[in-house]
Amino acid sequence: MNLAATSRRSVLSAGLWLLALAVSFAQEPTPQGQAKSGVKQDVPAAPKSYPPDLVQTGAGLFRQDCSFCHGRNAGGGESGPDLTRSKLVTADVDGDKIAPVVRNGRPDRGMPPFDRSDDQVAAIVAFIHTQQIRALTRTGGRKGVDPSDLQTGNAEAGKRYFNGAGGCATCHSPTGDLAGIASRHQGLELERQMLYPRHAKSKVTVTLASGQTVAGTLEYLDEFTVGLVDATGWYRSWRSRDVKFKVDSPVDAHVALFDKYTDDDIHNLMAYLQTLR
Amino acid sequence: MNFRNPFVFVVSALLALASSGLTQAQGVDEQTLLHPPGDSWPGYHGDYSGRRHSSIRQITPENVKNLSLAWAFQTDRPVPIKSSPLLIDGILYFTTPDNVWAVDARSGHQIWHYSSPTSQGEHIGQRGVAAYAGSLFFLSPDAHLIALNGKDGSVRWQVTVADVSKGYWTSMAPLVVGNHVLIGVSGDFDNLSGYIRSIDPDTGATQWQWDSTPPVGTADQTTGGMTWMTGTYDPDLHLIYWGTGNPTPVLKGSTRPGDDLYTCSIVALNPDTGKLAWAFQPSPHDTHDWDAVEAPVLVDADFHGQPKKMLMQSSRNGYFFVLDRTNGNSLLTVPFGPVNWSLGVDKQGRPIPNPAKEPAPDGRLIAPDEGGLTNYRSPSFDTKNGLFIVDAHPSWSVYFAKPADGVYGWAGADYDVWGKGVIEAIDYQTGQIRWSHELGPEGSGAGVLTTDSGLAFTGDAMGNFLALDSSDGKTLWHAGSGSHIVSSPITYELDGRQYVLMSSGGVVFAWALPEA
Repeated sequence: MNLAATSRRSVLSAGLWLLALAVSFAQEPTPQGQAKSGVKQDVPAAPKSYPPDLVQTGAGLFRQDCSFCHGRNAGGGESGPDLTRSKLVTADVDGDKIAPVVRNGRPDRGMPPFDRSDDQVAAIVAFIHTQQIRALTRTGGRKGVDPSDLQTGNAEAGKRYFNGAGGCATCHSPTGDLAGIASRHQGLELERQMLYPRHAKSKVTVTLASGQTVAGTLEYLDEFTVGLVDATGWYRSWRSRDVKFKVDSPVDAHVALFDKYTDDDIHNLMAYLQTLR
Repeated sequence: MNFRNPFVFVVSALLALASSGLTQAQGVDEQTLLHPPGDSWPGYHGDYSGRRHSSIRQITPENVKNLSLAWAFQTDRPVPIKSSPLLIDGILYFTTPDNVWAVDARSGHQIWHYSSPTSQGEHIGQRGVAAYAGSLFFLSPDAHLIALNGKDGSVRWQVTVADVSKGYWTSMAPLVVGNHVLIGVSGDFDNLSGYIRSIDPDTGATQWQWDSTPPVGTADQTTGGMTWMTGTYDPDLHLIYWGTGNPTPVLKGSTRPGDDLYTCSIVALNPDTGKLAWAFQPSPHDTHDWDAVEAPVLVDADFHGQPKKMLMQSSRNGYFFVLDRTNGNSLLTVPFGPVNWSLGVDKQGRPIPNPAKEPAPDGRLIAPDEGGLTNYRSPSFDTKNGLFIVDAHPSWSVYFAKPADGVYGWAGADYDVWGKGVIEAIDYQTGQIRWSHELGPEGSGAGVLTTDSGLAFTGDAMGNFLALDSSDGKTLWHAGSGSHIVSSPITYELDGRQYVLMSSGGVVFAWALPEA
């Protein structure tokens, strides 16, 4: 009985999806997106309106599987990011980027995969895009974290902190690795990168029993195994008890700052980094 | 019947004996729940105490290196198992949202599978079933309490326990005390009141309900206080102990001045009436989503030379609490990891929230993060070493809230910055960390089980199952599971063989020593 109901819904949704595509070709809404701070916001790659029924179906599916982490309105919830401000959502065209994330999850970030049919994913995609458009056109101030919210600091104080107490200048340079950083990252994304660059890779040097050393990018480490990608691009691993290894992880300096920062330090540092365009 | 063939007669007689034995296998009774035998795990926490400490000693620090796979069971679904299995009469029962499996505890063979897809309510997790007198009690995402026949998974009755259209859902494993099936609810995306409801196991009728907060719409009063984790029970004091969740709106406290009772609280209730005996609030006026629903673990032991009936909680807000569970008075309040949101501890043992660390438009750096220093995964009280052992999550995050976020539901935003996992063994008399064991970046979702032989079972952030020496935290055994571990281990002994049951992703693994 459930199977029959599912099939019927699938056929219906598939029809709506075709309709949605047709509508999308017929309509070309004007892209929105000039934040009040004057910082240019990303504009959806394929803004379009979706049939209300499809969006409604998507809303139901979204609530079942996604809303706990990403919020009822896709604006962020427990632990999941605000999808209405997601670069991936902005760049998505008809689910080409969202669908793989739904299907494969993001194991590294704690997002499980979801086993959903094509039309179910299409409905979820329609819902997310609709929520993004709704958020962009909302009057009375946008929910969530705007770049304009993160302008309370003092750039001069931030520069002093960078070169002084923060110790940032030990590893970073405004004319070197951070040159133009504010052009590459904005707003909350910049602040999160600043606090902890999550994708920074560590280096590791492994000394084998023979005395030979192998250096590379740390790829895997637990109590039992150390794995790296070597200079030729191949993954290699060893039982950690069979080798000696040394991990070089400069990103740990960011962790050491957490219990030293004041909130003002962070806001000042943000103000300073935003001058590095 | 014709018994000319003596073999047939013998077999029939054996079958008759066996079936008379089976007719006695009527599931769980009150005595089993009060004193679970080693061949059972009849409630969410095993026994009523929440200690998750087993007296079974077959697997030891010396022989655990030989631990091997007895069997594995695959749900063949991507949905991770977050439930704690029950074991009754040789049958294991575990769940994911909308699904219950009954599996032979000796072989991993599936006996039945209840599957009833629902389209309403958050499908974020399902923590397990409760059992009583041949029935299983299962909560669905759309907030139905369903009584299943333990024999075949058929539905005996079902009742609605909350209004999913208002924003409630259910995910917890009920607690059975006497003739009460005690259930809690979830729902902090809307401004709703949490409650504990007592339900008749035979009929589904409501016996009583205790509300966490004043009714929705009461001026200047909070809503929230969801009751989404299983409580514990002290039969001598005849009190149930239950944690309540965060207030709503979640990240903004302006419309709910004051402490926001009884959100983020530990409450002691009479299980027959629902009457409140006492309450203690781990997080007064919470604005960081730090539910105080983590297992209220009941321990009878000396506290600085005095015998005490204690309640211990490693709370999501980062503090470890020891209470006198006869009256709710504080014995100890101490952080068990980085905590930067309080101004200290008041005379009642409650942390004092720092107003400067409430979410703000330009962000506030907060430790721990919203997932907390721990969460629903179970800790264990190791009676052998006097240690409270918890899977901790030292972490930092940024919390935001501004007028445009409104005063309904989430009402703000928060982003985690960094975190890791560490098993911490806490001396319950001082709060000092006796030993710790690093679990890896981001953190682990595995709970902890300890045994009298001196072992602690858990899992790391990469998905390795671990057996640690509970006296010093050294690794004695491990096995890569291939996925994230987001459940708590259990143990039992069948046919003279001790099993340790752990799950990872959609797979249940039963570990045991090799058979002779």
